[in-house]
Amino acid sequence: MILTPEIVTIEIINAIFVVFATITFVISLRIVLLWENDSYSPLQYKLQLQSYLAATIIKFILYIKILLFIFFVYTLDNIATLLPGAMCGAGVVNATVYGTPLLFLKIINLYLFAYWIVLHNQDMHTKHQKYIRLKFILFIVVYFLFMSEIVLETLMFYNIDILKVVDCCGSIFKTTDGSYLSSILSISDAIMLKLFYALYGLMIVVFFFKNRYIFSILNLLFVIVALISLITFFGTYIYELPTHHCPFCLLQRDYNYIGYLLYILLFLGTFNGLVLGFIDFDINTQVKKYKFALFFNGIYIVIVSYYVMSYFLKNGVWL
Amino acid sequence: MIKLLNVSKRYDDIIALKDVTLQFNEGELIVLHGVSGSGKSSILSLIAAISKPTNGEVVVDGDTISMLPDHFASVYRRDNIGFIFQRYNLIPSLNVSENIIIPLIPLNLTQDEMMQKLEYVMKTFNIEHKRDVMVKKLSGGEQQRVAIARANVNNPKIILADEPTANLDKKLSLEFIEVIKELKSQNRTIVIATHDPLFFDLECVDRFVKLENGIVVS
Repeated sequence: MILTPEIVTIEIINAIFVVFATITFVISLRIVLLWENDSYSPLQYKLQLQSYLAATIIKFILYIKILLFIFFVYTLDNIATLLPGAMCGAGVVNATVYGTPLLFLKIINLYLFAYWIVLHNQDMHTKHQKYIRLKFILFIVVYFLFMSEIVLETLMFYNIDILKVVDCCGSIFKTTDGSYLSSILSISDAIMLKLFYALYGLMIVVFFFKNRYIFSILNLLFVIVALISLITFFGTYIYELPTHHCPFCLLQRDYNYIGYLLYILLFLGTFNGLVLGFIDFDINTQVKKYKFALFFNGIYIVIVSYYVMSYFLKNGVWL
Repeated sequence: MIKLLNVSKRYDDIIALKDVTLQFNEGELIVLHGVSGSGKSSILSLIAAISKPTNGEVVVDGDTISMLPDHFASVYRRDNIGFIFQRYNLIPSLNVSENIIIPLIPLNLTQDEMMQKLEYVMKTFNIEHKRDVMVKKLSGGEQQRVAIARANVNNPKIILADEPTANLDKKLSLEFIEVIKELKSQNRTIVIATHDPLFFDLECVDRFVKLENGIVVS
């Protein structure tokens, strides 16, 4: 068990959120089961009032949870110093069996939480709240994922043994041990780079044709390719070390905390692109979402490419 | 056209309206009367979408406004309703013109358009000479005129007035009635909740609706 002020903060916030999320979960169930759009009964008016309350609480929780993800990543990086062998958050994630599933679940939840918030905002701006049932059904799903995340998070912190030596990121993200991760990391840089830039190029093309479904799929592919290429290729230029493939060390002071900026840009860009495929926005909002996606993804590309070009210009060679 | 269909309204244990069905036609002047607590103000706040019924439906021009989400209820109020409150509900720290112009702020009008509308209502309701005076320094009748001007500045289709003459003497009440006649001549739908007997002899009133304990009795 490990308890630092950051972990205590996360756990207290989690406990508060569990209480409120459970209350809203019950209200959501009632709304999903009993909501009747054309009814003017006392129950319907009561449900409408409760839906405002529940949606406000959910929105607040999900906003905070999105921001807490940054704090969670910071906490991982911070407690790495307490674990023998760990050099960054990667060692902490790998210290228990719960770390990796938790991280993946958090990333999925990040997108789902943001999707719920956008869906809710959209619902509040349609006259007859056409998304009301959908958003509360989605929250019921989100609630289970949210609770799973909290359970995994608590289990992870509870099971960290500060006396046990853990692997450092150099060992976790090596490309030669035959593991599933290493096989992903062994994909040719040339292929990943072609994919990476081609996907962005396609996004620009699709922007002119305005096909929101294709744009959404491209963004889904882009986030995967961007993360893999960051680990396999671009990260090595940020570290200026061809064997260093860690996605966590980017978050450290030695690298000017560039990881925070890169991950936030990638999230903002790909989320705005992805959400287009799931919500039928009015045309103005759609255009805004396209532009936001292209803008944030574009900045991400410029920054990671800058590291490569800057290394080449300084040293005259590629890594 | 305003329709209240089987509308009930409860405030915890208090029943303000019981299964009320009413219809007000466009351009009508209706006086709701009855003792305090009979449900007059509840009807006004339901028509203004300030509150929601506990049961039943409020329909304005074919749109069920009682089911509108808050955002759309605000837009509906902004575009359709002019509300004159018993205590005027003016902002004491603002002057006359600032108070009147408030409903225009969310409309994103140009400065010229706002000033044009402001000048028109101040002139119509004879308050332009007090434009820069803080409202807290005005007399009751003047405050009433500011409240009327504010309720009319966005040219609403429906004017609701809750006990508008309760704080006025007879002379000022008669002045208010003249203003109401003027508004009626502009084909506005006007609903006044009052127990002031001055209204009961008015020829311009199309209908009187008497309420008792939340029920329409005549």
